[in-house]
Amino acid sequence: MNATNRIARLFWIALAAAFAGFVVMVLSGNITWFSTARPLEFLNNMDHQFKAIPQSGNTFFADRASVRTAVEGTVARGQQVYPLGQGDIDKAETANVNPGVPRTDFVLARGQNRFNVFCSACHGYDAHSNPPMVRRQRWLGIPDLTRPQTAALSDARIYHIISAGQNLMPSYADKITPVDRWAIIYYLRTLQGVQGVASNAPASTQQVQ
Amino acid sequence: MFSRRFDMGVKIGGAVLGASVLCVFLVIFFGVRNTVADVGYRPEQPVPFSHKLHAGQLNISCQYCHAGVENSAHSPVPTTQTCMNCHTAVLPESPKLQLVRDSYEKGTPIEWIRIHKVPDYAHFNHSRHIRAQIDCKSCHGPVEEMGVVSQFKPLSMGWCLDCHRNPEANIVGARPISGVFTGQMHKVKDLLDSTYLYKPIPAQVAAASDLKDMVTPSFGQKQSPLPKYHVDGIPHPKKAGIGPENCSACHY
Ligand code: HEC
Ligand code: HEC
Ligand code: HEC
Ligand code: HEC
Ligand code: HEC
Ligand code: HEC
Repeated sequence: MNATNRIARLFWIALAAAFAGFVVMVLSGNITWFSTARPLEFLNNMDHQFKAIPQSGNTFFADRASVRTAVEGTVARGQQVYPLGQGDIDKAETANVNPGVPRTDFVLARGQNRFNVFCSACHGYDAHSNPPMVRRQRWLGIPDLTRPQTAALSDARIYHIISAGQNLMPSYADKITPVDRWAIIYYLRTLQGVQGVASNAPASTQQVQ
Repeated sequence: MFSRRFDMGVKIGGAVLGASVLCVFLVIFFGVRNTVADVGYRPEQPVPFSHKLHAGQLNISCQYCHAGVENSAHSPVPTTQTCMNCHTAVLPESPKLQLVRDSYEKGTPIEWIRIHKVPDYAHFNHSRHIRAQIDCKSCHGPVEEMGVVSQFKPLSMGWCLDCHRNPEANIVGARPISGVFTGQMHKVKDLLDSTYLYKPIPAQVAAASDLKDMVTPSFGQKQSPLPKYHVDGIPHPKKAGIGPENCSACHY
């Protein structure tokens, strides 16, 4: 046996070992090209620390949720609760007053952005309520927001619908900040092609405001 | 049998071979581990939810479900309530949604299996990047074409730094489907053409006079004027904060 042979043999052994390692990796499901198992972690130094991370399980609490629900009767800092229920339509007309959000191009663009994110799935980008979901006949009977009836709703009322929902339409109070809601209303008015009125409440109650 | 010199040669050869195998191993281990082991990770989820259907075909914006990425470090995976916004009326009987309905009635969260994860000693913040008008696609790939989400980028430190050093080459500009706010209006006619929805739109800097507005009705009411330094409208990380190559920007 000469040295070249020995080196050759070493080479083949190394290659076979590498191949065997690869096969083991594949079979044990550690290469994501072939498997859906969680990738293997070698030496996971401090990858997983015992701290609360949003949206992860946490063994510290019995229900394993790391995000805790608020104690009853309390509100998180900065959180704004919409005080009215879905049925309080009369109160809505006087309660929802625009805090003076300016109607600039920039705010309109923000309104469009939020409308496209939160409303377009059901009401379409043009507010005609004809998005793919409706075209596929999955949800019928969503009203066209540009129809005169809806255009006649006051700003305060639309604010109420966004915040509290209406029948099958869910509430978006937890996802859209109050300022963004006014921006959406400005943008919706441009789609409807109307000026809009602040409130439909009788003049006397408006004075109280 | 062999001359000493020859024997020595073989030993050195063996050592060199061993060392190079070790080097290759180390390079693989530290260099491409994330790419080989993590990219393509696509666990089976408890509910057969499809992004291709919801985002790609129904045109639901990423932020409809992942609402709050603008303001928080983490991008929330939607609550059951979000699914039920539609699924009380859409396919209310579907067996595939049984788990969602159970979760809704009992108030227990659906345990989605987490895919993207940087180690706990590194901190990644979504809001910083979303406000810089970087599209989700830059980091998550074309999710709206995925039936099952799979990790698209290695999420290694080298990958973060590659973009921070050379953002021009790595950033996909904001697309309307992602709901990333650019301060720019779209033509409604364009939006109805679904190819437009998935095209990156050129990032834009709000006009100087508009920057003031952002402080009042700002993103999620946090006082945040647009960052000042821009590469094609995207703030350049080299000019930002404490500097994105500073170890303590990410390790703290
Ligand atoms: C999950 C689907 C869905 C989403 C998302 C949605 N809506 Fe609605 N919307 C509805 C449905 C359904 C109705 C009809 C409710 C009813 O039957 O009274 C409705 C009704 C309305 C109405 C009242 C129309 C009328 O004439 O009575 C307004 C105004 C409205 N939506 C605005 C919005 C705005 C603004 C947004 C975005 C923040 C939005 N909607 C998001 C489903 C939705
Ligand atoms: C209808 C709601 C919905 C929409 C719209 C949506 N997602 Fe998701 N997304 C989910 C749910 C539910 C999960 C968790 C289950 C899963 O991973 O499939 C998820 C998971 C993800 C994950 C993986 C999270 C992890 O565990 O690491 C990414 C990344 C993601 N979504 C990005 C996007 C992007 C980008 C878009 C827009 C193109 C988008 N999503 C649109 C509901 C949605
Ligand atoms: C904006 C409305 C909307 C939201 C929000 C939504 N879906 Fe859907 N989903 C639909 C529609 C519409 C379909 C039916 C699409 C089709 O087949 O035409 C559907 C279909 C499905 C299906 C397939 C059901 C079947 O029997 O084929 C699953 C599973 C599903 N959704 C899960 C979810 C989950 C989980 C969430 C929450 C993260 C969610 N959806 C949020 C509108 C929605
Ligand atoms: C600059 C790169 C980058 C961009 C842009 C980005 N992500 Fe992420 N995303 C990440 C990283 C890195 C993680 C892992 C975070 C962690 O482990 O803390 C992640 C995690 C997630 C998760 C899992 C939950 C979490 O936050 O830990 C979801 C869902 C998600 N991203 C959705 C989105 C959506 C939707 C967008 C667009 C609006 C987006 N991402 C934009 C890099 C990015
Ligand atoms: C696609 C490009 C891209 C990727 C990938 C990316 N970033 Fe960034 N990052 C940016 C840009 C652009 C900024 C500047 C944002 C600004 O100024 O508002 C930034 C800023 C930051 C900052 C703030 C730096 C400072 O000076 O305060 C941190 C921290 C950060 N990124 C962390 C990460 C981490 C961690 C990852 C990887 C998991 C990552 N980024 C991946 C583009 C990227
Ligand atoms: C842009 C954000 C960012 C910056 C800046 C950064 N790191 Fe990292 N670092 C990361 C991420 C993300 C990981 C996790 C990579 C992974 O998943 O393997 C990491 C991992 C590491 C690791 C562990 C590697 C391993 O595989 O075990 C070390 C050590 C490290 N970083 C040191 C540093 C040092 C030293 C600096 C300053 C020169 C630095 N980092 C700057 C994001 C960053």
